[in-house]
Amino acid sequence: MTLAIAARGLEKRFGRVHALRGIDLEVPRGTTLAVLGPNGAGKSTLLRLLAGLSRASAGSLLVGEADPARARASDRRRVRAAIGYLGHATFLYPDLTARENLLFAARLHGVADARARADALLAQQGLEGAADRLARSFSRGMAQRLAIARSLVHDPAIVLLDEPFTGLDPAAGAALELELRRMHQEGRTLVLVTHELGRARGLADAAIVLARGRVVHRAATLAELDPLALEAGFRRGLERTA
Amino acid sequence: MRHEAAPSAAVRWRRPTLLVALALALAWGAAVLRAPEDSVQGVIQKILYVHVPCAFAAYAGFGVTAIGGALYLWRGDERWDRLGHAAAEVGVLFCTLVIVTGPIWAKGTWGRWWSWDPRLTVTLLLWFVYLAYLLIRGFTEGSERGARFAAVYGIAGLAAVPLNYFAIDLFGGRAIHPENLQRGSLGAGMGLPFALGIAAGLATFVHLVVRRVEIEELRAAASAEELERSAAEGAGEGPPWRM
Amino acid sequence: MSAALAVLWKDLLSEWRSRDRVISMLLFSLLVVVVLHFALPPDAGSTLRAGTAGLLWVAYVFAAVLGMNRSFALELENEALSGLALAPADRGYVYLGKAAASFVLLAAVQAATAFAFALAFDVALLPVAARFAGIAALGGLGLSAIGTLFAAVAVRTRQREVMLPLLLLPVLVPLLLGAVRATAALLDGDGIGAPLRLLAVSDAIYLIVSFVLFDFVLDE
Repeated sequence: MTLAIAARGLEKRFGRVHALRGIDLEVPRGTTLAVLGPNGAGKSTLLRLLAGLSRASAGSLLVGEADPARARASDRRRVRAAIGYLGHATFLYPDLTARENLLFAARLHGVADARARADALLAQQGLEGAADRLARSFSRGMAQRLAIARSLVHDPAIVLLDEPFTGLDPAAGAALELELRRMHQEGRTLVLVTHELGRARGLADAAIVLARGRVVHRAATLAELDPLALEAGFRRGLERTA
Repeated sequence: MRHEAAPSAAVRWRRPTLLVALALALAWGAAVLRAPEDSVQGVIQKILYVHVPCAFAAYAGFGVTAIGGALYLWRGDERWDRLGHAAAEVGVLFCTLVIVTGPIWAKGTWGRWWSWDPRLTVTLLLWFVYLAYLLIRGFTEGSERGARFAAVYGIAGLAAVPLNYFAIDLFGGRAIHPENLQRGSLGAGMGLPFALGIAAGLATFVHLVVRRVEIEELRAAASAEELERSAAEGAGEGPPWRM
Repeated sequence: MSAALAVLWKDLLSEWRSRDRVISMLLFSLLVVVVLHFALPPDAGSTLRAGTAGLLWVAYVFAAVLGMNRSFALELENEALSGLALAPADRGYVYLGKAAASFVLLAAVQAATAFAFALAFDVALLPVAARFAGIAALGGLGLSAIGTLFAAVAVRTRQREVMLPLLLLPVLVPLLLGAVRATAALLDGDGIGAPLRLLAVSDAIYLIVSFVLFDFVLDE
């Protein structure tokens, strides 16, 4: 399977409102896709569909090797084991320490040596010092780092990130960028929803621009990821789908 | 940008179900008027011709609600959810009628408005389950989530009805609700209006559900148009990203 | 299965840190006992045995509602519930973990409340303590079982405090009947076999229904 994610004609309706429609997507394994677009375009909805948190109304979707929301239960579990998701919320328990949060996540995901894994992740994110502090005492940047660690606890091949740079100061943002670069080097497939074009250009192999629930522009090469080209493409796409 | 202009599927059923319901209701009305007055209970007994059909519709209604919910969960097709929702709204109406007409009859015959008889009590609990179902839909953010939660509750509620009956029959109140489903317990000439009543009640239930589904489909289409119109306006000035 | 244990461990650890669930449940049910003491005639313990048994279970139900509401409210902070939904674990096991945690906390509260209840109403619970514990456990099991499912729903509605009792009570009647009758029979020295069977049947149905349906409640 060279495609980590394959979607055809993906649609998401809430009642009769089309949040997403006609989404075609192919993300080859090991590549990074940036998802751009204005607010309300459906970027978060798309990511939730990919994660299996939401069920598509129509169209086909394969993440890993199965549909994350509509396949058989056992297949869905296999898909979930291959996906790491970092949403707007951190999924952390405030009354547990950083280490306990990771321990729980590891055990929940059936990771073999949970304690070792938790410690390794804490070290990787530079959180050993705060390992025994309650998550509720963490700053935004630290909580984000812990959330990233949590999303990686089961060593997922596919990582979905929804605006991970939000609320991070420049230093933390730069650290996160390095982090994402490392994940990419480890061969993971990344889908990154972001407003930070500068960072995305440094990380992404391809980009799609969403507006009003549709893909209005695609960029598949580095040249096409140039800001001017992207903006021109975005404008053209908007007019085309108006 | 056009959304599919699918005609409301329920519209096609509107007229036929209305005709069937009206026909049965007229037949039932005639049969009720012609039915003999009960020698013991007097004319108050005639309210039973409303009470019993409503009870059938109320229980059947909840079955439809629960099964619609189950199919929605299984298939994800929101038409099942619309059916379940409509059945719940119409069903609670019939259930209310049962609880209202029952005591009226009871006061006239047993001399008291209420008793904790198993059938009464289970129907009262069913009424609460109906209301809880509708409250879930009303109070949940997000129509899809509300539909799913309500479907789950509907299924749980369906399991609860026989369990409730079993439990209350064993331990609950005294059974004084008449056991009138056996042959021969009805007086002569009363069988027909009951039978017609049940048929008319169910037909009315079906027709009302059809109307309710229709309303829901129209409402959904209207809100979709509204939202599409507002989404089309203004996609911002600059590019939607930071350099 | 390890997922169930992980969830159970996490819930109990979290509770141990803050202890707010157990304390509020305990205070509430003790308060109910005190208020009921004033609401009933002075010799209620000996004359209204069945009645006081019922009131004890009312206290238990409200304490359970409090606890389970809180259990899922904690999951909503930072959307941890979505975190559970994303896990590759069988969601039935996640359900079992949460229900088990609620059961453990409820059991602690039940014990303390029973003690207070025996004191307040001068009821001889000690001689029948073992069997009472059995009844309380069975009742607590059913409460936790169906309560966990409904709490997951209720906590994401707008009137979340009111919603759980509204959802729970019409469906809980069989359990209440069984538990109250069994407790009353126990105090009267009668046989508890029949109501106990009702309790067991109710528990089984609640568990099975909740185990199967929890999957749909966790989905987004």
